[in-house]
Amino acid sequence: MRLRFWSRVAVVSFLGMGFSPGILPAAAPAGESPDPLVLQVQWFPQAQFAGYLMAREKGIFADEGLDVEIRFSDEHASPLTEMFEGRADFCTAWISQTLTLDRPVVNICQVLQKSSLMLVAKSESGILQPEDMNGRTVAIWGGDFSIQPTAFFRKFNIKPVLVPQSYNIDAFAVGACDVTSAMYYNEYNKIYLSGIDQEELVPFFFSDYGLNFPEDGVYCTRETYETRPDVCRKMRRAVLKGWEYAAGHQEETLDVLMDYCASYHVRTNRAHQKWMLTVVLQAVVYGVGSDPAGWGVLRRDDFRRVAEELKRQGFIQVVPAYEDFARE
Amino acid sequence: MRRRSSAVKRPIVRRLIIWIGFPLLLVYAAVAVTNYVQSSRAAVERMNSYLLELTNHHAAVLDSRFKAISQTPLIIAENIEAMRLLNEPRLYDLMERRLAIDPGIFGMSISFEPYALDPGRERCSPRVFRSAGGLERAGTAGLEAYHTADWYLIPELLKSSYWTEPYYSAEGGNALMCTFSHPFFREGAFAGVVTADISLAELDKTMRGIEIISGYTFLVGRSGTFISHPNPDFVMRESLFSLAEMLNRPDIRAIGKNMIRGRQGVIAFKDLDTGEKSWMVYTPIPTCRWTFAAVIPEDRILAPVKAQLIRQVILMAMGLAGILAVIVWAAYGITNPLRKLAAFAGRISSGDLTGRIEGIRGKDEIQELAGVLNQMVGDLNQYIRDFAAATKAKESVESELRIARQIQESLLPRVFPPFPDRTEFDLYAKNAPAKDVAGDFYDFFFLDEDHLAVLIADVSGKGVPAALFMAVNRTLMKTVCRKGVGPAESLRAANEILSRDNDACMFTTMFLALFNVRTGELIYANAGHNPPFIVSRDRTLRSLESMGDVFLGVETGVSYHEGWARLEPGDLLVLYTDGVTEAVAPDGSFFGEERLAAFMAERRDDALAAIWGRLAADLDDFQKGSQFDDITVVLLRRNE
Repeated sequence: MRLRFWSRVAVVSFLGMGFSPGILPAAAPAGESPDPLVLQVQWFPQAQFAGYLMAREKGIFADEGLDVEIRFSDEHASPLTEMFEGRADFCTAWISQTLTLDRPVVNICQVLQKSSLMLVAKSESGILQPEDMNGRTVAIWGGDFSIQPTAFFRKFNIKPVLVPQSYNIDAFAVGACDVTSAMYYNEYNKIYLSGIDQEELVPFFFSDYGLNFPEDGVYCTRETYETRPDVCRKMRRAVLKGWEYAAGHQEETLDVLMDYCASYHVRTNRAHQKWMLTVVLQAVVYGVGSDPAGWGVLRRDDFRRVAEELKRQGFIQVVPAYEDFARE
Repeated sequence: MRRRSSAVKRPIVRRLIIWIGFPLLLVYAAVAVTNYVQSSRAAVERMNSYLLELTNHHAAVLDSRFKAISQTPLIIAENIEAMRLLNEPRLYDLMERRLAIDPGIFGMSISFEPYALDPGRERCSPRVFRSAGGLERAGTAGLEAYHTADWYLIPELLKSSYWTEPYYSAEGGNALMCTFSHPFFREGAFAGVVTADISLAELDKTMRGIEIISGYTFLVGRSGTFISHPNPDFVMRESLFSLAEMLNRPDIRAIGKNMIRGRQGVIAFKDLDTGEKSWMVYTPIPTCRWTFAAVIPEDRILAPVKAQLIRQVILMAMGLAGILAVIVWAAYGITNPLRKLAAFAGRISSGDLTGRIEGIRGKDEIQELAGVLNQMVGDLNQYIRDFAAATKAKESVESELRIARQIQESLLPRVFPPFPDRTEFDLYAKNAPAKDVAGDFYDFFFLDEDHLAVLIADVSGKGVPAALFMAVNRTLMKTVCRKGVGPAESLRAANEILSRDNDACMFTTMFLALFNVRTGELIYANAGHNPPFIVSRDRTLRSLESMGDVFLGVETGVSYHEGWARLEPGDLLVLYTDGVTEAVAPDGSFFGEERLAAFMAERRDDALAAIWGRLAADLDDFQKGSQFDDITVVLLRRNE
């Protein structure tokens, strides 16, 4: 998920090339000229953002009277920072990130209900259950990505040897570490697409161990929410419709995605994006059902679980009120 | 006879073509197919061994290149471990000198653990790489996160050198590259890595420079990602596994797994890009654990085999055409003379015997047949000439016979009534000979005023001899029948003359009667002739029975008996020869005396000529027109 050093600068350069005029600016509906809005997502184009892209491509934003530009990110440009500094109106982020901010934000739409973060071991390493990781080398990403693993290790009273992890799975593939962090929709499949069968892998989904931290949600600053609640509601509606469209038109969505990836010089392939779309859509409906009417809700127990874990790990001192955090 | 049509329904030529040409075609086809299959196999095997050699060679070349590149970091790492005093300018200098020596290296870096080079600096990673303007130094600024890069982290974790997967680096030289990274240690602890990069662009140039007959080569990395491939969309995007997934091709995933396990292989598969049936040979490059593969579409491998097949088919077709031509030529060599013979035979059958069949050469059966036909025509001509001569001779004989008959007829009295001034009786006689000259005869003549001699006779045999004998007989009878001599004496005298010198052994049956026209008295003698009969007015019949006397001309010294009868006025005397009673119907039955008697009884009152006419018609009807013997009838009726 995270990009380091040369890889990171590479992506920056790609994104730089990709942000050419004419690709993203949306045409304003005739007769009115809504204020242009920027929705900044966490990464470069991939199926993780299918719903937002389809909302734009299929004119769903425009139908809501919104003129939305979707911006992609790298690790230099955190979407939240971009938003606070006024370069973006909305952004996608994880609860674990937004709860730890010292500035108030509002979750207007919790898109992904299920945590895709996981640990993966090779079955040949003999690691078949959490306790087996004790003393073994486990690669984890830093920052927000370390919250769930930390809780996981404490829960099972495991003391692994933690090593940093690059954005790809090569260290795991060549055996430089025993366990690696992965996003189920991304790295887990990359392992499979590097020739390691799923049968050879032992996955540990944090969501299976009482650590389901819902991931991507759409946020705005509290100020935005209070001054332009109408725009926020439209944004929420359009985003969910975009995801509904992506769910109902997966091949078309993949076509759009692959075009985006090509425009932004993202080195990926359709097989991988297809997997990602499938898994992300599973996370969209997890716990809320396949009826789009129920999508986009931040469930209170999910909120409480994340907040309490953050408090336990000392990231926050006080669990905020749900009502202050999430608005529908 | 009708000329036979020359349109033969199943010509010999066609049959020969079917029976020789078709099996030959089958044999040719079998040979061509077998050849093709064997040649194809051989070609595929040859091509695969060529590919194996090729991939082995290039894999070895690439491997040596990777090995050569990996030597530099090893040496520098050793130096760093040995050197006490390190400083950044020296390291830059070191790297620049190495890059100047080794053109295969795209860039180098020496990267340290935090504070390891300079206790005042957390990050230190001097780098030199090639750019358009020559060697370029990359500072450490902005490189805050290299500690988690694969080329740094993995050798640290493995505590051994590592070839990274290909990656793109902007600040590191704005290039796709792979990095060899070797860790170095200070005082037993990991202190950093020395790296050397190889440019994928250079590598791709090398790969594209590899000439391979009608195929292409590609490189895949340790995880199956395409590092070099003629399809640029594949490079660094797709892997064998992603394509296997996308195209739902488990076979490709299996191939990919074999490759990343460092195995070598030769395999038939459907090309990922073009979908053509192809052959792939792959060989591992051990140093970087990549795989070098070469792919050739089977079509291209088989192209020369197919060309050869086409040449072979053309040759075979020509050969077949030649053979067919020979067959046609040979067949016409047979059928042309046969056709001539048939036409000739047709002419013969239509009666034209003038020609000879010419122009049939050779010494075969057909020529023999032609000879026989010519001979036959000659023989036929001879036969016809002979036949014509014979016919002419026969015609001449017949003409003579006609004359003889005229003479014979002129011998017999032919004018009726013969004695118009004698009203006492009616007399009618008729002779219908079977052949032109009859053996039967009759005669009547007056011996004096009252006595009429009437005779009927049948000479043995037929034709000219019988006619001549009859003429002799008739003349003789004129002589021996004299006034005052009875019929028995006349017959005896005639027999004496005829029996003497009868070398031809001919004989005559004869009935001779003397009829007294005044009294109706009838004295007769019979030399073995059919007994005549009298039909009375009341239609009763009286037969003038034979007295058992022999034929005239058989032996001398024979005497004859006399019989006596009276013709009452109106009585009809019927004399006949056996030609009447022995007339044969087609069913073999005879006309017979009874039928004759019944006929005469019924017709006795008719005019005598009419009786004859009717009898002749009945006989003709009875015999259905085929008369075997002379028929002679003499009718004498005493008038009232």
